[in-house]
Amino acid sequence: MTQIYRAFLLLVAATIAQMSVFAQPVDGGHARVELVTERALAVPGETVWFGLSFEIDENWHIYWVNPGDAGIPPEISWGDGVSLPTDNIQSFQWPEPELLPVVPGQIMDYGYSDQVVLPFAVTLPDDIEGPVLFEGVADYLICEDVCIPESVDIRLMLSIGAQQIPDTYGADLIQASLADVPPPLSGDAALTAQGDTWRLSLAGESVAGLTGDARFFPYGHEITHAADQTVQFGPEGLSLSLVPASAGASLPETLSGIVKIGDAVFDVSATAGAALPGTSGSSGGAGSAVPGTSLPLLMAFALIGGLILNLMPCVLPVLSIKAMGLVSATANGDTAKARAHGLWYTAGVLASFGALAAAVLAVRAATGIAIWGFWLQNPILVTARILVIFLIGLWLLGMFELGTSVQSVGSDLAAKQGSAGAFFTGVLAAVVGAPCTGPFLGAALGAVMSQSAANVILVLLTMGLGMALPFLILSFSPGLQKFIPKPGAWMETLKQVFAFPLFLIAAWLLSVLGALAGYRMAAMVVAGAALIAFGIWAYKSAGQGAKAILLAVIGLALIVPIFGLISATSAWEVAGSLGWCAALAVAVVVIARLNGNLSSQIAKGLAAVAVFAGLIWPLAQARTALSSDAPTEAYAAKYDTEAWSPERVAELTAQGRAVFVDFTAEWCVTCQANKLQTLQTRPVTEAFEAANVAFLVADFTNGDPVIARELQKHNRAGVPMYLWYAPGEQSPEVLPELLSIDLVTGLVEAAS
Amino acid sequence: MTTFTRRNLGLAAGMATAVALTAGSMIALSANAAPVSGEAAPIFVDYQTSSGEEISLGDFEGKTVVLEWTNHDCPFVVKHYAEPVTNMQSLQSGAMDDDVVWIQVISSAPGKQGYLEAEAAISKNTERSSVPSYTILDPEGSLGRAYAAKTTPHMYVIDGEGDLAYQGAIDSIRSTKVDDIALATNYVTAALPSVAAGETPEVTSSAPYGCSVKYN
Repeated sequence: MTQIYRAFLLLVAATIAQMSVFAQPVDGGHARVELVTERALAVPGETVWFGLSFEIDENWHIYWVNPGDAGIPPEISWGDGVSLPTDNIQSFQWPEPELLPVVPGQIMDYGYSDQVVLPFAVTLPDDIEGPVLFEGVADYLICEDVCIPESVDIRLMLSIGAQQIPDTYGADLIQASLADVPPPLSGDAALTAQGDTWRLSLAGESVAGLTGDARFFPYGHEITHAADQTVQFGPEGLSLSLVPASAGASLPETLSGIVKIGDAVFDVSATAGAALPGTSGSSGGAGSAVPGTSLPLLMAFALIGGLILNLMPCVLPVLSIKAMGLVSATANGDTAKARAHGLWYTAGVLASFGALAAAVLAVRAATGIAIWGFWLQNPILVTARILVIFLIGLWLLGMFELGTSVQSVGSDLAAKQGSAGAFFTGVLAAVVGAPCTGPFLGAALGAVMSQSAANVILVLLTMGLGMALPFLILSFSPGLQKFIPKPGAWMETLKQVFAFPLFLIAAWLLSVLGALAGYRMAAMVVAGAALIAFGIWAYKSAGQGAKAILLAVIGLALIVPIFGLISATSAWEVAGSLGWCAALAVAVVVIARLNGNLSSQIAKGLAAVAVFAGLIWPLAQARTALSSDAPTEAYAAKYDTEAWSPERVAELTAQGRAVFVDFTAEWCVTCQANKLQTLQTRPVTEAFEAANVAFLVADFTNGDPVIARELQKHNRAGVPMYLWYAPGEQSPEVLPELLSIDLVTGLVEAAS
Repeated sequence: MTTFTRRNLGLAAGMATAVALTAGSMIALSANAAPVSGEAAPIFVDYQTSSGEEISLGDFEGKTVVLEWTNHDCPFVVKHYAEPVTNMQSLQSGAMDDDVVWIQVISSAPGKQGYLEAEAAISKNTERSSVPSYTILDPEGSLGRAYAAKTTPHMYVIDGEGDLAYQGAIDSIRSTKVDDIALATNYVTAALPSVAAGETPEVTSSAPYGCSVKYN
């Protein structure tokens, strides 16, 4: 009987096997499903890979082994339709899933869209005689907005023989899918309770040095699937913060799942224990791939960023003003005043950051895009900052005393020892320090810019608080105040020394302005600064030799018509300038006939006018200045650079070329440092040349909405940003803000 | 020279407090805390039902309350209402006999799957012989969000003191197959006698399964 049955089966099977070669996938409704195998002919005793292949309709998805908050994973019921023990059929290997945020922040699913093959291994018994029939039902839940359970009959006949013959179609599908199945992590994983959250720390050769977006996908339901996972990177690996499924849940003995870091993915089983060292320190790109990073963490970054602002060279000189105030207050034993100082200074910093938040929000509302460095792209704002910094420099040098001159209200207020003085010192510190964005700030701001207005304000205020914190603590803790040096003559010297870093900052800003609005605009600002200096000097000296000063004023005033003549482009302008000269000549005659007292008054008035004009004139010029369209050509000698555009990147990557994109700007110090220390060095240029890397430059000096969007897409608030497209890759790797030669050449070598 | 005054300190302290309070409330608001079994269930007040009444959790003090998140077109809900078996209907009528208040909640937004107006909700229940005490219409999804309801079905059992006794899946087998109902452990059936006896159920929470709630 069995003989006859077997012979019959063989006959049927042979027919089906012929058919199965041409078998089409079965349409389940919203997916085409097919059972595939790597063998056309298998030998007894071997383990053969099979795969359940899905081709899913657009916008629909099926689920991973853990579907997340809703859904169920696909499964096969073999029933009696398989002619070998079902124990020989292993369960699915699951390729890495994607996040499916159903309701952001509330419902998160894990699954697959487009195409996926779920591989599974089948062990053929040694004594098997073929062909073997695999017949069953594949059940899967497929969802778009609504969910539909679909069910398809799957069938495959595997021929058995003495020699392996591959089925290339099936083998290719299965191999590609197996490559996406996460390998075990080589390294350690620990799970640690940390307040209300859990910290998953990973260390070891698999993860050390990896960066990018990171996400943990649990096999179970121990954590809140929809919660953001913030990531920190350290030298040994990384840490993710996870939110338990319910508040106060006890830490599980083990937590298993997979972890995705950039393009890498690993199977992880973490045991409860102390957090692994070296797995934190710097914030990752943007943490999770889910929009909206957790607010408390952003605020923590903002606070640290604010603290770091204190160390920036562009803040230090202003802080010295504050420190001197504290020195004099404590020297008098007036602790109450020291405390008031601290509080008012904090209030000043917070007010400035609040104003900045308002400005950022206004710009975002107007343009739809907010970029931290935007105010370095506006010639008027840059001009104003150069002149203010120059003025502060003059004051530090002792060019003028505060409290007497009407022209320097802001600095006057800043220098007062009282609460108003402390408040304006805070304002001053914030105004000068705000643009020095360290890497911390970049990450925090990049993440917060896309958030609600309230969060933007909150994060910026927190940053302000961080900036004010050292002085606040100092003013309240008498013990720490002892570390402040005793006042003395050194203070005046130190004050003067601080003038020079300010002048250097002004010079740097001048180069920014030159890049923005051309060298003539920069020259006008220098002329304006000279006029201010002259005005201050003239005012001070107005008592003696007033007539001489007035004549000098007229002599200097000749600059205006001379500039006019040089830059004149029409007959009217020439006529105007000549008219100026005539008026000045008349003034010389009048002054020669004036008495001393009156000329002193006029000299003072003119000095005030000079200072005022020195401030206003460059600003007025800046308003009309058109941004020049000659961005940096700094790379020209080293590379065949091209201007960046998303289309060009798509074109080059489609050709299979490696692409390096430098998002840079003239005013970005870190960009220039990377350029000099890494990108223009010999090892890097040679490596790029050898690997035929296309070098694209996205110049953000003048702001550009397309570049701004690209920055935002990668959760960056500004430049620098470096993207690396390995050959054949469509999606880039975001490199760290600080590059190194080893890092860049390593990337190129790994790719070629 | 301006000196330090109490008023100045008050101003500065006020500013600092404002910042701290804003920060605190933002953190509190951003935390989307799910209810915890054994603790007080989120209180709800004056929710519209299909019969036109407005009900609050406080109306049922001393009684056990079951909340059932539903979406009549979701395959997982269809499974539990399927005839034969009529799993959900039997649970509802059994609960009614034991003086348990059974409340269906529809959190589907207008235009989304499962959304029903009052009359349609009543006729849907008549059609499938479903007998809940009430059907809350929650098109805004506020009740669903308060309870962190994720799927349909998603079940909650609240004891007479207003504490959450059970939350999660209806049973132990995550599928859309009617045949699995008989094989599965029904967590609600298991929890109700314990709650009636004033004891803690053996299983107090589980991961729910089903379709996602179709929030707006």
